Amino acid sequence: MKLWWLRLTPYTLAHWRGLTFVMLLMLVNVGLNVLKPWPLKLIIDYVLGKQSFSGGDVWLKTLPGGESSSQLLGWLVGATIILFLASEGVRLIQEYVGAGVGSQMGYNLGAVLFDRLQRLSLRFHNQQHAGDLVRRVMTDSNCIRDLVMGVFLPVLTSLVSLVAMFAVLWQLNHLLSLLSLLVAPLIVILIWVFNQPMTERTYQHQRFEGEIMALSEQTLTALPVIQAFGREAHEDERFRYLSRKALQAYMGAILAQMQFKFGVSGVSAVGTAVIMLIGGFQVLNGSLSIGSLLVFLSYLASLYKPMETLAYISSGFAAAAASARRVLEVLDTKDEVREVPGAKPLILQSDRARGHVCLEGVTFGYGPGYPPVLQDITLEARPGEIIALVGPTGAGKSTLVSLIPRFFDPWQGRVLFDGVDIRDVQLKSLRSQIALVLQEPFLLPLTIAENIAYGRPGASQEEIVAAARAANAEAFIQRLPQGYDTVIGEWGATLSGGEKQRLAIGRALLKVAPVLILDEPTSALDARTEAMLLDALERLMAGRTTFIIAHRLSTIQQADRIVVLDRGRVVEIGTHEELLAGSSHYKRLYKLHFGSASPSVEI
Amino acid sequence: MKQGSKVTTHRYLSLLRYPLQQWRTLVVILALTAGTSATAILQPWPIKILVDYALGQASVPPVRWLLDDFNLSLTPPLLVVIAAVSSLGLYTLGATLDTGLNWAWSAAGQGMVYELAESLFYRLQRLSLLFHSQRTVGDSLSRLTGDAYCVYTLSSALLISPVQHLLTLATISIVAWNLDPSLTLLSLVVAPVMGGSALVFGARLKRRARLNREVQSRLTSFVHQTVTAIPMIQAFGRESFNTRQFEHLGADAVVLLQRETLLRSTYSLANGSITTVGSAIVLYMGGQQVLAGAISVGSLLVFLAYLQSIQGAFQGLFSIYGNLKSAEAHIDRVLEVLDAKDGVQDAPGARLLPAIAGARGHVCLEEVTFGYDPDYPPVLQDITLEARPGEIIALVGPTGAGKSTLVSLIPRFFDPWQGRVLFDGVDVRDVQLKSLRSQIALVLQEPFLLPLTIAENIAYGRPGASQEEIVAAARAANADEFIQRLPQGYDTLISERGAILSGGQKQRLAIGRALLKDAPVLILDEPTSALDARTEAMLLDALERLMAERTTFIIAHRLSTIQRADRIVVLEQGKVVEMGTHQELLAACGLYKHLHSLQFREEIVR
Repeated sequence: MKLWWLRLTPYTLAHWRGLTFVMLLMLVNVGLNVLKPWPLKLIIDYVLGKQSFSGGDVWLKTLPGGESSSQLLGWLVGATIILFLASEGVRLIQEYVGAGVGSQMGYNLGAVLFDRLQRLSLRFHNQQHAGDLVRRVMTDSNCIRDLVMGVFLPVLTSLVSLVAMFAVLWQLNHLLSLLSLLVAPLIVILIWVFNQPMTERTYQHQRFEGEIMALSEQTLTALPVIQAFGREAHEDERFRYLSRKALQAYMGAILAQMQFKFGVSGVSAVGTAVIMLIGGFQVLNGSLSIGSLLVFLSYLASLYKPMETLAYISSGFAAAAASARRVLEVLDTKDEVREVPGAKPLILQSDRARGHVCLEGVTFGYGPGYPPVLQDITLEARPGEIIALVGPTGAGKSTLVSLIPRFFDPWQGRVLFDGVDIRDVQLKSLRSQIALVLQEPFLLPLTIAENIAYGRPGASQEEIVAAARAANAEAFIQRLPQGYDTVIGEWGATLSGGEKQRLAIGRALLKVAPVLILDEPTSALDARTEAMLLDALERLMAGRTTFIIAHRLSTIQQADRIVVLDRGRVVEIGTHEELLAGSSHYKRLYKLHFGSASPSVEI
Repeated sequence: MKQGSKVTTHRYLSLLRYPLQQWRTLVVILALTAGTSATAILQPWPIKILVDYALGQASVPPVRWLLDDFNLSLTPPLLVVIAAVSSLGLYTLGATLDTGLNWAWSAAGQGMVYELAESLFYRLQRLSLLFHSQRTVGDSLSRLTGDAYCVYTLSSALLISPVQHLLTLATISIVAWNLDPSLTLLSLVVAPVMGGSALVFGARLKRRARLNREVQSRLTSFVHQTVTAIPMIQAFGRESFNTRQFEHLGADAVVLLQRETLLRSTYSLANGSITTVGSAIVLYMGGQQVLAGAISVGSLLVFLAYLQSIQGAFQGLFSIYGNLKSAEAHIDRVLEVLDAKDGVQDAPGARLLPAIAGARGHVCLEEVTFGYDPDYPPVLQDITLEARPGEIIALVGPTGAGKSTLVSLIPRFFDPWQGRVLFDGVDVRDVQLKSLRSQIALVLQEPFLLPLTIAENIAYGRPGASQEEIVAAARAANADEFIQRLPQGYDTLISERGAILSGGQKQRLAIGRALLKDAPVLILDEPTSALDARTEAMLLDALERLMAERTTFIIAHRLSTIQRADRIVVLEQGKVVEMGTHQELLAACGLYKHLHSLQFREEIVR
């Protein structure tokens, strides 16, 4: 992580044209700034002080009316205006181009990060807070802009103007320019003393700000429970505590900054006073003109400014480093779910993916330190077969089906799709062969039509309506004022759980894939809606290899094979009839559900 | 439009409450400001001493106390020393005042930002779910963490800047007037021109800032929604598409940002040109006067320094308008939350519900009509329903019939459009929300666990519950066994989406949480729909215990619990279509019978 800025360089190189342009403008501006106090010197010396023109300034006489003090004054005043306009004009272009280049770099890095995030396995996402990830993409990715525009360019500008200023000062007076440089070591000492506390406290403040953000997000997403349990006051307390901490950290950071600033001003005040003293005596000696002394004094301010800028660079650098660390952390995440180099698309391996799925000796768990969730699972689903997974909560059913689209990679064993280890094929081509309907519908805040067409953007309106109809969602969609163009709110308050699930089923219907995963798709639906859906699901499953996790019998009974899982192991496999024949796990489950549940109906 | 802006101004003033709480610091800031303007007056004088008296030929005005008390003769070298020392002194004084000012202003400013954020957080938590159903979490978050900063700008623009700049302007103008009235008048001429440019640019800057902010928040919500739906994104292979969309939105943001920068730079160029031309005129006229011998070179330099202060003050004064304009968008977003007219809040003088012993859990809905959005048809229509203490009311009906919405009215997550909800005979709108909700425990479809430890989650409704009580509740919810199996047991931290736990395990924690709350009314919204038959069976006795002697509203699809309900309410399209016991409804041959036969057809077939 030491060379983090080096790792970010490639992302800046794409913008070398804009950067070069900005740097050129910056050089021009340094030159103009050096010239700025010059007319005043000329005014004081030649116009007001009535000295005779000396050395290189003789050309002033050749100006029309240059002989008359009053007209020379007009020329010189005009020169200040022109110098100002030129330097401001250059600055304007520089800022305009710089803002574009800087934010473009930020967004480009953000896009890389965003892309990477989307491809990281669920195992990574299960351990992350959504708010934190959003911050990394939206805020931390700006570290590259801060690094280039806030650190690299200012350092360059400061160094160039330091050198330019010093060169001019040297021309004016050797002794005074050496004296003015004496300030530099003092400022270096100040930087050295204050750098550590300034950056550390700034970092602390940012940390607390992050915690406030996280707390707010948690609270707002779990609001129904917070209100129901009357814990608002408690959350207020936590918020207040954190904001007090953040304020304290902020004040600490500001205090260090203030001390530093005070030190720098003090040092430059002493420098100015010394120059005034020595320069004043030199003017009395006659070895320096008053105008030169005044120019010297005004340059001093310009000389100290870049030094001060350099001093603040380190804290900017540290802030950028903190953000960069958070960006690189994601980019560097070693995730086993990634395409091997040269992975082939699935479709090329045979004419047509057929949907033959095998699990061979698969063992998997979410984190080291936790017991494996699945142990030594072997299972085969031939094309078109329906495999039902049953077993108690926590037996590993959902985890098992998550391995097929390679949301996770197993610890041991392998998953084969049409005979190929899925780790050897391109993820996208694998996942394009699998449609799923999960417990949670995961609708996005898009229109209903866009949600249904999510797996096939560009589907025609007819196809979308057909899918909605097949999922029995059409009736309620028609009842919404905006119909298919209704935007689904994040909370989806206007849709019930069942309605959302029907949209998810429509979405899966529209994606033509040989393998289908149904993870309790109907658990949120009531009996009537489920009945209405059965033919839709039937159509969905027709000709597809289907893995279904469900509690209701209708679908389980017609499965080609029922796999009974318990604590991560397959304890039985067979058809409904076979399993009921033995005195098995399945029979016990079956009895539990359909025996005690409705004694009055089971005759 | 006119009227609107009047109202807005009034609302802005309401935000000044936050800075005014820090009035002590504000007084200190103003005092320091006065000190700074005084220093600004003195700052150019050492140069005058240097140029006119030490190095020039002007005779030193008699400074009696110096000559008399110290018996000094003011030779040029001594004057150089005096100039240098006084410059050092003034510099140091200026730096000290400046540091103090910055320090105080940071403290007060950041303090009021957090203060406002706390108020926003307070308010957001208490706004009804109806308010939140119309906004995304990301949007509320950005109001809380981003827009709250506007109070800083607001108080600077309304409280500090005017005083600071007017003070500087007044003192410096008076001193400058004494030096040379005509030059002073000349330097004040820039004011109307600067004011004009502030007006021209201010409104445009605000519009730009708003556009910028909008595209930013679009991008943020896009990233947020993507990150929260990763399984779907990956399953549907939309990663590249989303990345392209991000790049698209990012490119829009870049263009907008550049335009804003351009406008900002042009504004500062215009201001700079005005001041430069102004200074040039003063320099020219002043130079002529020096040539004419009317004033000294040193005085001209002093004047030029004053001119800068005057122009700075004008610039500060006129930028107030622009600053206010660009903060307006943020202020509006903050006030939208603070002023949100939300029915669901304690009425003035709301009573406490009678203490626990008195609360019996008698719930009545009287002709309740409710919908989420006035543009949509109501979700519930004219519902009348009574649950006597200890009764079990089951709600059944097709998806979207309004079952979940109905039970949300009891803890007053929403207020009905018409009709009323009574708790122990009192309209729920007349009692304190907190006391009402303390009487109701719920287990929803979604468990909503928080990123706390398992123990803290179970004790969420009763912080301070003992470890024994927590374990007892977990055991009763059949959660103890799997909790024990986790490496950290009850101290296991639940990650955001509870990945380590299965849906059933999370729901069991939610049931444990409801058990520990021990309230007379219980709402179960499909608590077992995520659980398989075996776990449900294990839970039935737990639920039984939970329901014992509690008024229970249950939404469930499975029959076991529905059958033993005291009353079954059948809802369809927001209306009660049937009500009665299991036997009665089966006899009635209505919707219930139909639903029932559908679900159990397969068993009968068997």
